[in-house]
Amino acid sequence: MTKPACETALLTKRRNLKNGYYSYTFGPFRAAGKCRPGHFLHIKLPCSDVFFRRAFSVASANPEKQELEVIFKIFGRGTRHMSQMRPGDPIDILGPLGNPFKLPRKTETAVMVAGGVGVPPLLYMAEQMVAKGYDPKRIRFFYGGRSKEDVIERTRIKRLGVHFHPITEDGSLGEKGLVTGPVATFIKDNPGCKPRLFACGPEGMLKATNDLGLRLKVAGQVSLEAPMPCGFGVCLGCIVTLTSGGHARVCREGPVFEIGEVAL
Amino acid sequence: MKPDLRVDLAGVEFANPIMTASGCCGYGEELAEIFPLSKLGALVTKSITAEPRLGHPPPRTAETASGMLNAIGLANVGINRFLTEKVPFLKKQKTRVIVNVAGSSEQEYIDICSRLNDVPELDMIELNISCPNVDEGGMQFGASAQLTEKVVKAVKKVYHRPLIAKLSPNVTSVVEIAKAAEQGGAEVLSLINSLVGTTIDIHTWQPRLTNNKGGLTGPCVKPVALAMIDAVYSNCSLPIIGIGGCSTWEDMVEFLLVGASAVQVGTALFVQPEAPVKIIEGLTRYMKSKKLQTLSDLVGKVRKY
Repeated sequence: MTKPACETALLTKRRNLKNGYYSYTFGPFRAAGKCRPGHFLHIKLPCSDVFFRRAFSVASANPEKQELEVIFKIFGRGTRHMSQMRPGDPIDILGPLGNPFKLPRKTETAVMVAGGVGVPPLLYMAEQMVAKGYDPKRIRFFYGGRSKEDVIERTRIKRLGVHFHPITEDGSLGEKGLVTGPVATFIKDNPGCKPRLFACGPEGMLKATNDLGLRLKVAGQVSLEAPMPCGFGVCLGCIVTLTSGGHARVCREGPVFEIGEVAL
Repeated sequence: MKPDLRVDLAGVEFANPIMTASGCCGYGEELAEIFPLSKLGALVTKSITAEPRLGHPPPRTAETASGMLNAIGLANVGINRFLTEKVPFLKKQKTRVIVNVAGSSEQEYIDICSRLNDVPELDMIELNISCPNVDEGGMQFGASAQLTEKVVKAVKKVYHRPLIAKLSPNVTSVVEIAKAAEQGGAEVLSLINSLVGTTIDIHTWQPRLTNNKGGLTGPCVKPVALAMIDAVYSNCSLPIIGIGGCSTWEDMVEFLLVGASAVQVGTALFVQPEAPVKIIEGLTRYMKSKKLQTLSDLVGKVRKY
């Protein structure tokens, strides 16, 4: 467990990704170098009508510049306030929090299963794997969205040289349907590829990926989301039920869990 | 000169008047990663019951205007695992430790409290007779003056260190309950526990808590807490630990002025985990600027009209 830092950083770069999606870069944040794919930040928004912090997955980290990136979509009051920030605005960040993804072996095929705004940790992971010398062709990046506007950062993903499989529910980009269909087909058609699943996205998609992993006996990890008052393990608000019985805190034992570990 | 922040409650000296509130920092391990617990006057543990409890199913917290509702349902490891797994860590911390105890019967309180006698590093017990979220959470004691006195008296027979009674605001007269706790032998009072409340999802028409209701905490309850502390301070001679929405050093000064000798910080920890440290720093600056030497220069010094 990495000890979290609590610091005020500035919004250094604001990218409007269109259709309500934004990429924000914050810095300087001294613990930036400790932020791994799957870690999250708990951000206090500078407004009085949003009481709790809001959790955001780390989308990239730059240890030299001590900068961190998050990607979000306007969803409720918190993200709406966040979208109105301007470069230079201060923001209170607690992090890194939670447990990150475990990188696969270099001989395995990383099967990324991203859904909508769940893409940041998997994008970060793919970028980090390529930077660490993993063969990009051993990364299968399945990315589903309602329509093509929800499949963001496409250029960035393609640039990595990974196999990119966009899937949309309305068929406006890539295959039509839900992301887990093509994932299952890929795994069945490539028995020798030593697949390992990594998923982040909406609850239904995570459940489908979890079920898929159990059915096809493919190991991997899913990153869960839950409303989190504290984010560091003390309020016990974000619990999930484990298949072995008992509870786990999404913020502390998660947000990344092994496939089959949580009763989804 | 640096102000003296030490406070004495029932013969136990605390380095400063800031404590964590029960249920807001577990058994201390996570908070210790944020700041050294030695900065606290005391750490108050999550409520301990005889058996482990998982609590209510989620959702069991909900955001509200300037605060939150919770119906965690006394999730805790139970007294056995508390003693074997949590106490070794707590013993190593250079801060006072107050164990919050909840029970569904007088006997459960007696059993837990008598076992805590054997660990001298656990400085005090705070008796939770005011949890609004579970039927067996002690509220049946805390809502009745007679039962409050009875359970406090029963615990005092078996527990030999100072006892704090934690009072509920969900009563007709908090002063009456405070006096009953004093009669029973409590040395310190802490108030307030959370206020019963609820919130509804207008799309599903369901409450946002599976328990259908919960306890309201955070900055929104502070005025209620201050008024109740003021009433108890004016009518009861026991020292008071103030609880209820204290988030900043300015809040802390208000609590002291209405009569709290110490203050517990709860919900604020969720939003700003370093809040206790910042409160101590701010309080020190404030006392210096006002040339106040000790906390007794502030406690109960509200100048009423």
